[in-house]
Amino acid sequence: MKNLARRVVFSLATFIALAVVSFVGVDALPGDGCTALLGRFGTNAKIEACRQENNLNDSVVVRLKDWSGDLVRGDLGYSIKRDEQVSKIIMPRLRNTAVMAAVAALIAFPSAIVVGLLLGRYPRKRISKAVNQFSVIAMTLPEFVIATVLWLVLSIWIPIFPGVSVMPSNASLLQLLPNVWLPALTLAVVIFAHSMRTMRASVTNVQNMPFVESARLRGTNERKMIKRHIVPAALPPVVNVVALDGAWLLTGTFVTEAAFNFQGLGRLAIDAISDRDTALILPIILFGLAVYLVSSLLADSLVRVFDPRLRSSNR
Amino acid sequence: MKTLLRLNFLKNRALIFATLGMHAFVALLAPYLRLSSTDSQDSAALLQGPSLNHWLGTDSLGRDVFSRLLHGGRPSLVIAFAATAISCLIGIVIGSVAALAGGWIDDALSRVIDFMLALPTLILLLLISSFFGQDPLILSVALGLMYASPIARVARSATQTLLARDFIRVARLQGGSRISILFGEVMPNVWRVMFTEVAMQFTWILLAFSSLSFLGLGASPPTPEWGLMIAESRSYMTLNPLLVIAPIMMLASLVLAIQALVDHE
Repeated sequence: MKNLARRVVFSLATFIALAVVSFVGVDALPGDGCTALLGRFGTNAKIEACRQENNLNDSVVVRLKDWSGDLVRGDLGYSIKRDEQVSKIIMPRLRNTAVMAAVAALIAFPSAIVVGLLLGRYPRKRISKAVNQFSVIAMTLPEFVIATVLWLVLSIWIPIFPGVSVMPSNASLLQLLPNVWLPALTLAVVIFAHSMRTMRASVTNVQNMPFVESARLRGTNERKMIKRHIVPAALPPVVNVVALDGAWLLTGTFVTEAAFNFQGLGRLAIDAISDRDTALILPIILFGLAVYLVSSLLADSLVRVFDPRLRSSNR
Repeated sequence: MKTLLRLNFLKNRALIFATLGMHAFVALLAPYLRLSSTDSQDSAALLQGPSLNHWLGTDSLGRDVFSRLLHGGRPSLVIAFAATAISCLIGIVIGSVAALAGGWIDDALSRVIDFMLALPTLILLLLISSFFGQDPLILSVALGLMYASPIARVARSATQTLLARDFIRVARLQGGSRISILFGEVMPNVWRVMFTEVAMQFTWILLAFSSLSFLGLGASPPTPEWGLMIAESRSYMTLNPLLVIAPIMMLASLVLAIQALVDHE
């Protein structure tokens, strides 16, 4: 418990340090909210007036203080370019990305664990080798290629799913659902390959351990062998990868979302970067950092739940 | 189906080298092959299928797809080579210096490497490309800096194992200074160990740049580049699927061949 508390404090400190670095870094980029709003046609006088109005002429330290104060109170800031509260812009996008991530996780993780187990248990079957080869390909190809291939096959050649989504960012769940499938499948292919290979390696590793050999010599049947001996021992490293892949599902989806024009957080990040809306870029970076830190914390605690040896040694 | 499963194409050496050779040939010689121009637009022949004049048809602006396809790997390859060279230079120096120096220098450099590894690469690249312009030079340097940290990490551990080897001890006993050991003994040997890592890195950088192009922040139109070609032609997939299939095949075959080669070594 003490260990966990220390890690939480450390993560929090890391977050604060990185948040400050991000603020200063984004601030140092050429251009601010006012130049983003007025574009290259804005006259100097207009830009100056806009800066005056939005307190952009204060020093970095003063603005950092204001910004972090607002952040602690739950105010993410205000986008001059989009003339809206950042939280109002982000929230519907975050929901869309979360729904997509959940669908991808539900498709990929259970199947990855089952397939990884089977591949580790029966590595010599021809189908195992084929699946293995598929996973190498899926892990090597970039997401935009996987996305385009899935779109071509599952939307144009065999019209099952709609291709590019044409929904508003605040569409209802029912409107959202048909558009979720293709981006979610793309992400699912990537994380399936990743977590399946981890599971397979872990199962292969566990199988060579003495306790499995001893269980076999005792005449344990296949079913009990998998359920009682192999799976519990093979899961901990996979849990770690699942947690990190889960974090990636929430924060690393720029390319996939852009490929399907899916109105999620990644698409928003690219839009914000393209029109240099710094006020909107910053909270998205912070969200990514927070998800990354929380998920690595979660991964470590979950591994402890799944692996009794770690639990007892840390009491 | 069964024969397809038996065809283990990722382990077929001849196929791997043939693919890599084809890519090298095309990338080096595309400008000298007397292909039709990559930029000339033919408004009378938009989105056409394959013909004698245009072997793979034309895109939405009436440009020759075959010619653009053969030129399309060059921008990413140039950037990937430049960025890999930069990342190797920085990464191997930092990594081997950290291992060789030890003590607080090692600690400090390792922290820097950890920090760099945690950076969100793609979002940083997008920011740099958007705010500083889509300049190939800036992008190569940025990619090289960002991808230096994994190289540094591997170089550090490779050097550490090297340091325990006899020939380094001999060099030390002969009174070689740290610098002379670094360049005389460590560098040439680390380099050999690093081949796999560097080749992998090369494909990641290549794909990162292609992804940037796909998002519209890498190669700028009308440059022929596979990622950009895929992005530009996706809306016309129903009319001429070759427009996206061709660049996908080129990109995929290149990356998979490198990957397979690395797995083989």
